[in-house]
Amino acid sequence: MKRAPIVIAGTVAGLVAVLEFHTTPAKLTLAGGSSIAPAATPVAGPTTQPGSGGTKPARRSKHGSASGQTASRSATGQEVNYNYGVLSVKVTASGSKITKVAIAYLDDSGDPRSQLIDEQSIPILEQEALRAQSANIQGVSGASYTSEGFVQSLQSALHSLGM
Amino acid sequence: MGTVITIDVYPASAADVAWTADLRRRLDRARMVLRHADDVFSTWRRDSPVSRLRRGEITASEAAPELAVVMEACEVARRLSDGWFDPWAMPGGFDPSGYVKGWAAQRALAALDGLSMYGALVNAAGDIATTGCQPSGEAFRIGIADPDEPRRLAEIVELTGCIATSGTYERGSHLVDPHSGLPAARAASASVIGPDLGLADALATAIAVAGTPGLDLVEGLAGYEALVIGWDGRRHSTTRFAFAEASGPAVAR
Repeated sequence: MKRAPIVIAGTVAGLVAVLEFHTTPAKLTLAGGSSIAPAATPVAGPTTQPGSGGTKPARRSKHGSASGQTASRSATGQEVNYNYGVLSVKVTASGSKITKVAIAYLDDSGDPRSQLIDEQSIPILEQEALRAQSANIQGVSGASYTSEGFVQSLQSALHSLGM
Repeated sequence: MGTVITIDVYPASAADVAWTADLRRRLDRARMVLRHADDVFSTWRRDSPVSRLRRGEITASEAAPELAVVMEACEVARRLSDGWFDPWAMPGGFDPSGYVKGWAAQRALAALDGLSMYGALVNAAGDIATTGCQPSGEAFRIGIADPDEPRRLAEIVELTGCIATSGTYERGSHLVDPHSGLPAARAASASVIGPDLGLADALATAIAVAGTPGLDLVEGLAGYEALVIGWDGRRHSTTRFAFAEASGPAVAR
Protein backbone atom coordinates (compact mmCIF):
# COMPACT_ATOMS: atom_id res chain seq x y z
CA MET A 1 0.00 0.00 0.00
CA LYS A 2 1.24 3.46 -0.73
CA ARG A 3 0.21 6.32 1.46
CA ALA A 4 0.39 9.87 0.27
CA PRO A 5 -0.68 12.31 2.94
CA ILE A 6 -1.73 15.59 1.44
CA VAL A 7 -1.90 18.52 3.77
CA ILE A 8 -4.17 21.25 2.49
CA ALA A 9 -3.43 24.54 4.12
CA GLY A 10 -6.25 26.62 2.75
CA THR A 11 -5.22 29.88 4.28
CA VAL A 12 -1.50 29.56 3.81
CA ALA A 13 -1.26 30.88 0.27
CA GLY A 14 -2.73 27.68 -1.13
CA LEU A 15 0.33 25.68 -0.22
CA VAL A 16 -0.15 21.99 -0.66
CA ALA A 17 2.58 19.70 0.56
CA VAL A 18 2.90 16.00 -0.01
CA LEU A 19 4.45 14.92 3.23
CA GLU A 20 5.46 11.49 2.27
CA PHE A 21 5.18 8.97 -0.48
CA HIS A 22 6.47 5.49 0.10
CA THR A 23 5.91 1.79 -0.40
CA THR A 24 4.75 -0.56 2.28
CA PRO A 25 3.99 -4.27 2.10
CA ALA A 26 0.85 -5.53 3.81
CA LYS A 27 0.35 -3.14 6.67
CA LEU A 28 0.65 0.50 7.41
CA THR A 29 4.10 1.80 8.19
CA LEU A 30 5.66 5.20 8.17
CA ALA A 31 9.27 4.90 7.11
CA GLY A 32 11.82 2.45 5.84
CA GLY A 33 9.58 -0.60 6.21
CA SER A 34 9.66 -0.59 9.97
CA SER A 35 6.42 -0.62 11.96
CA ILE A 36 5.33 2.18 14.16
CA ALA A 37 5.83 1.45 17.83
CA PRO A 38 3.65 3.37 20.23
CA ALA A 39 5.86 6.17 21.45
CA ALA A 40 5.76 8.43 24.42
CA THR A 41 4.92 12.06 23.82
CA PRO A 42 8.22 13.81 23.26
CA VAL A 43 9.43 16.37 25.74
CA ALA A 44 9.35 19.86 24.28
CA GLY A 45 12.69 20.57 22.69
CA PRO A 46 14.35 23.83 21.72
CA THR A 47 12.85 25.58 18.75
CA THR A 48 15.09 25.51 15.71
CA GLN A 49 15.61 28.52 13.53
CA PRO A 50 13.18 28.60 10.64
CA GLY A 51 14.92 28.65 7.29
CA SER A 52 14.80 31.63 5.00
CA GLY A 53 13.00 31.81 1.70
CA GLY A 54 9.48 30.93 0.71
CA THR A 55 7.75 27.67 1.40
CA LYS A 56 7.53 25.22 -1.42
CA PRO A 57 5.76 21.89 -1.88
CA ALA A 58 7.80 19.12 -0.32
CA ARG A 59 7.51 16.02 -2.40
CA ARG A 60 9.52 12.87 -2.03
CA SER A 61 9.01 9.60 -3.80
CA LYS A 62 10.93 6.44 -3.15
CA HIS A 63 9.93 2.88 -3.65
CA GLY A 64 11.48 -0.10 -2.00
CA SER A 65 13.41 0.25 1.19
CA ALA A 66 14.94 3.52 2.18
CA SER A 67 18.51 4.15 1.21
CA GLY A 68 20.95 6.92 1.87
CA GLN A 69 21.12 9.11 4.92
CA THR A 70 19.10 7.72 7.77
CA ALA A 71 20.34 9.80 10.65
CA SER A 72 17.39 11.00 12.63
CA ARG A 73 16.87 14.72 12.92
CA SER A 74 14.04 16.79 14.23
CA ALA A 75 12.70 20.30 14.33
CA THR A 76 10.03 22.05 16.31
CA GLY A 77 7.81 24.46 14.46
CA GLN A 78 6.83 27.92 15.54
CA GLU A 79 4.42 28.30 18.41
CA VAL A 80 1.06 29.25 16.99
CA ASN A 81 -2.29 30.24 18.36
CA TYR A 82 -5.03 27.73 17.74
CA ASN A 83 -8.61 27.19 18.89
CA TYR A 84 -7.89 26.61 22.55
CA GLY A 85 -4.46 28.04 23.23
CA VAL A 86 -0.91 27.79 21.95
CA LEU A 87 0.89 24.84 20.44
CA SER A 88 3.95 23.86 18.51
CA VAL A 89 4.59 20.76 16.45
CA LYS A 90 7.71 18.66 16.41
CA VAL A 91 8.68 16.73 13.32
CA THR A 92 11.27 13.96 13.26
CA ALA A 93 12.70 12.77 9.99
CA SER A 94 15.05 10.06 8.92
CA GLY A 95 16.61 10.78 5.58
CA SER A 96 13.78 12.19 3.51
CA LYS A 97 11.04 10.39 5.39
CA ILE A 98 9.00 11.75 8.23
CA THR A 99 9.04 9.27 11.07
CA LYS A 100 7.15 11.12 13.73
CA VAL A 101 4.89 14.12 14.06
CA ALA A 102 3.76 15.14 17.50
CA ILE A 103 2.71 18.04 19.67
CA ALA A 104 5.89 19.45 21.21
CA TYR A 105 4.28 22.12 23.31
CA LEU A 106 0.70 22.87 24.18
CA ASP A 107 -0.92 25.34 26.50
CA ASP A 108 -4.69 25.35 26.65
CA SER A 109 -4.99 26.89 30.11
CA GLY A 110 -5.99 23.52 31.48
CA ASP A 111 -9.52 23.55 30.10
CA PRO A 112 -10.64 19.93 30.62
CA ARG A 113 -12.89 19.67 27.57
CA SER A 114 -10.29 21.15 25.28
CA GLN A 115 -7.69 18.85 26.82
CA LEU A 116 -9.54 15.90 25.32
CA ILE A 117 -9.76 17.60 21.98
CA ASP A 118 -6.11 18.65 22.15
CA GLU A 119 -5.05 15.11 22.80
CA GLN A 120 -6.98 13.79 19.88
CA SER A 121 -5.61 16.44 17.61
CA ILE A 122 -2.33 14.61 17.58
CA PRO A 123 -1.81 14.05 13.90
CA ILE A 124 -3.50 11.29 12.02
CA LEU A 125 -0.19 10.21 10.56
CA GLU A 126 0.69 8.71 13.90
CA GLN A 127 -2.60 8.20 15.70
CA GLU A 128 -4.48 6.66 12.83
CA ALA A 129 -1.60 4.36 12.07
CA LEU A 130 -1.66 3.01 15.60
CA ARG A 131 -5.41 2.44 15.56
CA ALA A 132 -5.29 0.89 12.13
CA GLN A 133 -2.70 -1.62 13.21
CA SER A 134 -4.58 -2.70 16.33
CA ALA A 135 -7.98 -3.24 14.71
CA ASN A 136 -7.01 -4.28 11.20
CA ILE A 137 -8.76 -1.33 9.67
CA GLN A 138 -7.76 0.81 6.73
CA GLY A 139 -9.24 4.10 7.90
CA VAL A 140 -11.29 5.92 10.50
CA SER A 141 -14.42 7.96 9.86
CA GLY A 142 -15.68 10.60 12.23
CA ALA A 143 -12.86 12.26 14.06
CA SER A 144 -11.88 15.35 12.20
CA TYR A 145 -8.32 16.54 12.34
CA THR A 146 -8.56 20.16 11.42
CA SER A 147 -6.42 22.69 13.09
CA GLU A 148 -5.05 25.62 11.23
CA GLY A 149 -2.56 26.39 13.95
CA PHE A 150 -1.32 22.83 13.91
CA VAL A 151 -0.78 22.92 10.16
CA GLN A 152 1.10 26.20 10.35
CA SER A 153 3.46 24.92 13.01
CA LEU A 154 3.90 21.66 11.14
CA GLN A 155 4.87 23.49 7.99
CA SER A 156 7.38 25.67 9.78
CA ALA A 157 8.96 22.54 11.23
CA LEU A 158 9.09 20.91 7.81
CA HIS A 159 10.65 24.02 6.41
CA SER A 160 13.34 23.92 9.08
CA LEU A 161 14.12 20.38 8.03
CA GLY A 162 14.39 21.44 4.40
CA MET A 163 11.45 19.30 3.41
CA MET B 1 -8.68 25.92 7.66
CA GLY B 2 -6.06 23.21 7.44
CA THR B 3 -7.31 19.75 6.59
CA VAL B 4 -5.25 16.61 6.37
CA ILE B 5 -6.27 14.39 3.48
CA THR B 6 -4.67 11.02 2.86
CA ILE B 7 -4.74 8.88 -0.24
CA ASP B 8 -3.93 5.19 0.10
CA VAL B 9 -3.29 3.11 -3.00
CA TYR B 10 -3.09 -0.72 -3.07
CA PRO B 11 -1.01 -1.70 -6.13
CA ALA B 12 -1.90 -4.86 -8.02
CA SER B 13 1.72 -5.85 -8.50
CA ALA B 14 5.18 -4.66 -7.62
CA ALA B 15 5.39 -0.97 -8.45
CA ASP B 16 7.70 -0.39 -11.38
CA VAL B 17 9.05 2.92 -12.59
CA ALA B 18 6.28 3.47 -15.13
CA TRP B 19 3.52 2.71 -12.64
CA THR B 20 5.07 4.94 -10.04
CA ALA B 21 5.37 7.79 -12.54
CA ASP B 22 1.74 7.30 -13.51
CA LEU B 23 0.71 7.33 -9.86
CA ARG B 24 2.65 10.51 -9.21
CA ARG B 25 0.92 12.27 -12.10
CA ARG B 26 -2.44 11.15 -10.84
CA LEU B 27 -1.67 12.31 -7.30
CA ASP B 28 -0.72 15.69 -8.76
CA ARG B 29 -4.13 15.82 -10.38
CA ALA B 30 -5.82 14.76 -7.15
CA ARG B 31 -3.98 17.47 -5.29
CA MET B 32 -5.09 20.04 -7.86
CA VAL B 33 -8.70 18.91 -7.55
CA LEU B 34 -8.57 19.37 -3.80
CA ARG B 35 -6.80 22.70 -3.94
CA HIS B 36 -9.23 24.00 -6.53
CA ALA B 37 -12.19 22.90 -4.42
CA ASP B 38 -10.67 24.79 -1.52
CA ASP B 39 -10.14 27.87 -3.70
CA VAL B 40 -13.78 27.90 -4.78
CA PHE B 41 -15.62 26.74 -1.68
CA SER B 42 -13.61 27.78 1.34
CA THR B 43 -15.75 30.07 3.48
CA TRP B 44 -12.52 30.95 5.32
CA ARG B 45 -11.09 32.66 2.25
CA ARG B 46 -12.54 36.13 1.87
CA ASP B 47 -12.32 36.17 -1.90
CA SER B 48 -13.45 32.66 -2.73
CA PRO B 49 -16.44 32.50 -5.05
CA VAL B 50 -18.58 31.07 -2.28
CA SER B 51 -17.63 33.90 0.09
CA ARG B 52 -18.41 36.46 -2.54
CA LEU B 53 -21.72 34.75 -3.21
CA ARG B 54 -22.51 34.83 0.49
CA ARG B 55 -21.83 38.56 0.59
CA GLY B 56 -24.07 39.07 -2.43
CA GLU B 57 -21.21 40.38 -4.56
CA ILE B 58 -21.88 37.83 -7.26
CA THR B 59 -24.87 35.80 -8.30
CA ALA B 60 -24.88 32.05 -8.76
CA SER B 61 -24.84 32.40 -12.53
CA GLU B 62 -21.75 34.63 -12.38
CA ALA B 63 -19.86 32.28 -10.09
CA ALA B 64 -17.47 29.46 -11.00
CA PRO B 65 -19.14 26.55 -12.82
CA GLU B 66 -18.35 24.20 -9.95
CA LEU B 67 -20.48 26.35 -7.71
CA ALA B 68 -23.51 25.79 -9.97
CA VAL B 69 -22.86 22.04 -10.00
CA VAL B 70 -22.62 21.92 -6.23
CA MET B 71 -25.71 24.08 -5.78
CA GLU B 72 -27.72 21.68 -7.91
CA ALA B 73 -26.46 18.71 -5.96
CA CYS B 74 -27.25 20.48 -2.70
CA GLU B 75 -30.81 21.07 -3.88
CA VAL B 76 -31.17 17.34 -4.50
CA ALA B 77 -29.72 16.62 -1.06
CA ARG B 78 -32.04 19.17 0.52
CA ARG B 79 -35.07 17.45 -0.95
CA LEU B 80 -33.88 13.94 -0.14
CA SER B 81 -33.24 14.99 3.44
CA ASP B 82 -36.63 16.69 3.83
CA GLY B 83 -34.85 19.96 4.48
CA TRP B 84 -32.74 18.65 7.37
CA PHE B 85 -29.73 19.46 5.20
CA ASP B 86 -30.21 22.96 3.87
CA PRO B 87 -27.16 25.02 2.88
CA TRP B 88 -29.39 28.00 2.12
CA ALA B 89 -30.63 28.16 5.68
CA MET B 90 -27.17 28.47 7.22
CA PRO B 91 -26.09 31.58 9.13
CA GLY B 92 -24.17 33.92 6.87
CA GLY B 93 -25.75 32.66 3.67
CA PHE B 94 -25.40 29.69 1.37
CA ASP B 95 -22.89 27.28 2.91
CA PRO B 96 -22.36 23.98 1.11
CA SER B 97 -19.53 22.82 3.38
CA GLY B 98 -21.55 19.80 4.52
CA TYR B 99 -21.55 18.55 0.94
CA VAL B 100 -18.33 19.87 -0.57
CA LYS B 101 -15.82 17.95 1.53
CA GLY B 102 -17.23 14.61 0.40
CA TRP B 103 -17.74 15.80 -3.16
CA ALA B 104 -14.15 16.98 -3.47
CA ALA B 105 -12.69 13.86 -1.89
CA GLN B 106 -14.52 11.61 -4.33
CA ARG B 107 -13.36 13.73 -7.27
CA ALA B 108 -9.80 13.39 -6.00
CA LEU B 109 -10.23 9.60 -5.92
CA ALA B 110 -11.43 9.71 -9.52
CA ALA B 111 -7.96 10.91 -10.52
CA LEU B 112 -6.82 7.34 -9.89
CA ASP B 113 -9.32 5.77 -12.32
CA GLY B 114 -7.46 3.54 -14.74
CA LEU B 115 -4.46 2.95 -12.49
CA SER B 116 -3.66 -0.74 -12.07
CA MET B 117 -4.53 -1.47 -8.45
CA TYR B 118 -6.66 -3.58 -6.14
CA GLY B 119 -8.22 -0.51 -4.65
CA ALA B 120 -7.71 2.95 -3.25
CA LEU B 121 -9.04 5.11 -0.47
CA VAL B 122 -9.23 8.87 0.02
CA ASN B 123 -9.80 10.02 3.57
CA ALA B 124 -10.71 13.69 3.89
CA ALA B 125 -10.83 14.35 7.61
CA GLY B 126 -13.14 11.41 8.18
CA ASP B 127 -15.08 11.47 4.90
CA ILE B 128 -13.86 8.42 3.03
CA ALA B 129 -14.25 7.49 -0.64
CA THR B 130 -13.05 4.08 -1.80
CA THR B 131 -12.77 2.10 -4.96
CA GLY B 132 -12.01 -1.61 -5.14
CA CYS B 133 -10.98 -3.57 -2.08
CA GLN B 134 -8.02 -4.86 -0.09
CA PRO B 135 -5.50 -7.05 -1.93
CA SER B 136 -6.95 -10.05 -0.10
CA GLY B 137 -10.27 -9.44 -1.84
CA GLU B 138 -11.92 -8.43 1.40
CA ALA B 139 -13.83 -5.19 1.59
CA PHE B 140 -12.12 -2.28 3.29
CA ARG B 141 -12.70 -2.22 7.03
CA ILE B 142 -13.35 1.26 8.35
CA GLY B 143 -13.59 2.26 11.97
CA ILE B 144 -16.09 4.84 13.17
CA ALA B 145 -14.68 7.03 15.92
CA ASP B 146 -16.50 6.95 19.23
CA PRO B 147 -18.02 10.43 19.66
CA ASP B 148 -17.41 10.16 23.40
CA GLU B 149 -13.73 9.25 23.09
CA PRO B 150 -12.45 9.81 19.56
CA ARG B 151 -9.33 7.75 20.12
CA ARG B 152 -11.62 4.71 20.48
CA LEU B 153 -13.60 3.06 17.76
CA ALA B 154 -17.35 2.80 18.25
CA GLU B 155 -17.97 0.47 15.34
CA ILE B 156 -16.23 -1.14 12.38
CA VAL B 157 -17.91 -1.42 9.00
CA GLU B 158 -17.16 -3.38 5.85
CA LEU B 159 -17.16 -0.65 3.29
CA THR B 160 -18.07 -0.73 -0.35
CA GLY B 161 -18.23 2.81 -1.69
CA CYS B 162 -18.10 5.78 0.63
CA ILE B 163 -18.75 6.70 4.23
CA ALA B 164 -19.29 10.09 5.83
CA THR B 165 -19.67 10.78 9.51
CA SER B 166 -21.01 13.96 11.06
CA GLY B 167 -21.13 14.91 14.69
CA THR B 168 -19.72 17.06 17.40
CA TYR B 169 -16.25 15.58 17.42
CA GLU B 170 -14.72 19.01 17.69
CA ARG B 171 -15.95 21.93 19.70
CA GLY B 172 -15.26 24.11 16.70
CA SER B 173 -17.82 22.40 14.52
CA HIS B 174 -21.41 23.38 15.09
CA LEU B 175 -24.39 21.77 13.49
CA VAL B 176 -27.26 24.10 12.74
CA ASP B 177 -30.92 23.09 12.51
CA PRO B 178 -32.10 24.64 9.23
CA HIS B 179 -35.65 24.92 10.56
CA SER B 180 -34.71 27.13 13.46
CA GLY B 181 -31.33 28.52 12.41
CA LEU B 182 -30.01 27.53 15.84
CA PRO B 183 -27.28 25.06 16.79
CA ALA B 184 -28.78 21.63 17.33
CA ALA B 185 -27.40 18.11 17.31
CA ARG B 186 -29.88 15.45 18.31
CA ALA B 187 -27.33 12.67 17.86
CA ALA B 188 -23.73 12.42 19.03
CA SER B 189 -22.78 11.20 15.58
CA ALA B 190 -24.34 9.97 12.35
CA SER B 191 -22.62 7.92 9.65
CA VAL B 192 -23.93 7.35 6.14
CA ILE B 193 -22.62 4.77 3.68
CA GLY B 194 -23.36 5.01 -0.04
CA PRO B 195 -21.95 5.39 -3.53
CA ASP B 196 -21.82 9.22 -3.59
CA LEU B 197 -19.70 10.81 -0.87
CA GLY B 198 -21.08 14.33 -1.30
CA LEU B 199 -24.62 13.08 -0.77
CA ALA B 200 -23.50 10.82 2.09
CA ASP B 201 -21.82 13.84 3.66
CA ALA B 202 -25.02 15.91 3.36
CA LEU B 203 -27.21 13.11 4.70
CA ALA B 204 -24.88 12.48 7.64
CA THR B 205 -25.07 16.18 8.49
CA ALA B 206 -28.87 16.04 8.22
CA ILE B 207 -29.17 12.99 10.48
CA ALA B 208 -26.77 14.36 13.08
CA VAL B 209 -29.13 17.32 13.39
CA ALA B 210 -32.40 15.35 13.14
CA GLY B 211 -31.33 12.45 15.35
CA THR B 212 -32.67 8.89 15.13
CA PRO B 213 -35.86 9.83 13.23
CA GLY B 214 -33.52 10.95 10.43
CA LEU B 215 -32.74 7.29 9.72
CA ASP B 216 -36.09 7.13 7.92
CA LEU B 217 -34.64 9.44 5.29
CA VAL B 218 -32.06 6.81 4.38
CA GLU B 219 -34.02 3.61 4.99
CA GLY B 220 -35.95 4.20 1.79
CA LEU B 221 -32.96 5.41 -0.22
CA ALA B 222 -31.59 2.56 -2.36
CA GLY B 223 -27.85 2.06 -1.95
CA TYR B 224 -27.53 4.07 1.25
CA GLU B 225 -27.33 2.92 4.87
CA ALA B 226 -26.95 4.91 8.06
CA LEU B 227 -25.96 4.62 11.70
CA VAL B 228 -26.80 6.96 14.56
CA ILE B 229 -24.96 7.01 17.88
CA GLY B 230 -27.20 8.71 20.39
CA TRP B 231 -26.12 10.93 23.22
CA ASP B 232 -26.88 7.97 25.48
CA GLY B 233 -24.38 5.89 23.52
CA ARG B 234 -27.08 3.68 22.00
CA ARG B 235 -26.77 2.69 18.36
CA HIS B 236 -29.61 2.82 15.86
CA SER B 237 -29.15 1.92 12.22
CA THR B 238 -30.90 1.18 8.95
CA THR B 239 -31.66 -2.46 8.25
CA ARG B 240 -28.66 -3.32 6.14
CA PHE B 241 -25.96 -1.20 7.72
CA ALA B 242 -22.72 -3.07 7.06
CA PHE B 243 -21.40 -3.77 10.53
CA ALA B 244 -18.24 -5.86 10.44
CA GLU B 245 -17.35 -8.52 12.95
CA ALA B 246 -16.01 -6.78 16.00
CA SER B 247 -12.37 -7.50 16.53
CA GLY B 248 -9.94 -6.74 19.25
CA PRO B 249 -10.04 -4.43 22.21
CA ALA B 250 -10.18 -1.35 20.02
CA VAL B 251 -13.95 -1.60 19.67
CA ALA B 252 -15.95 -0.36 22.62
CA ARG B 253 -19.66 -1.18 22.42
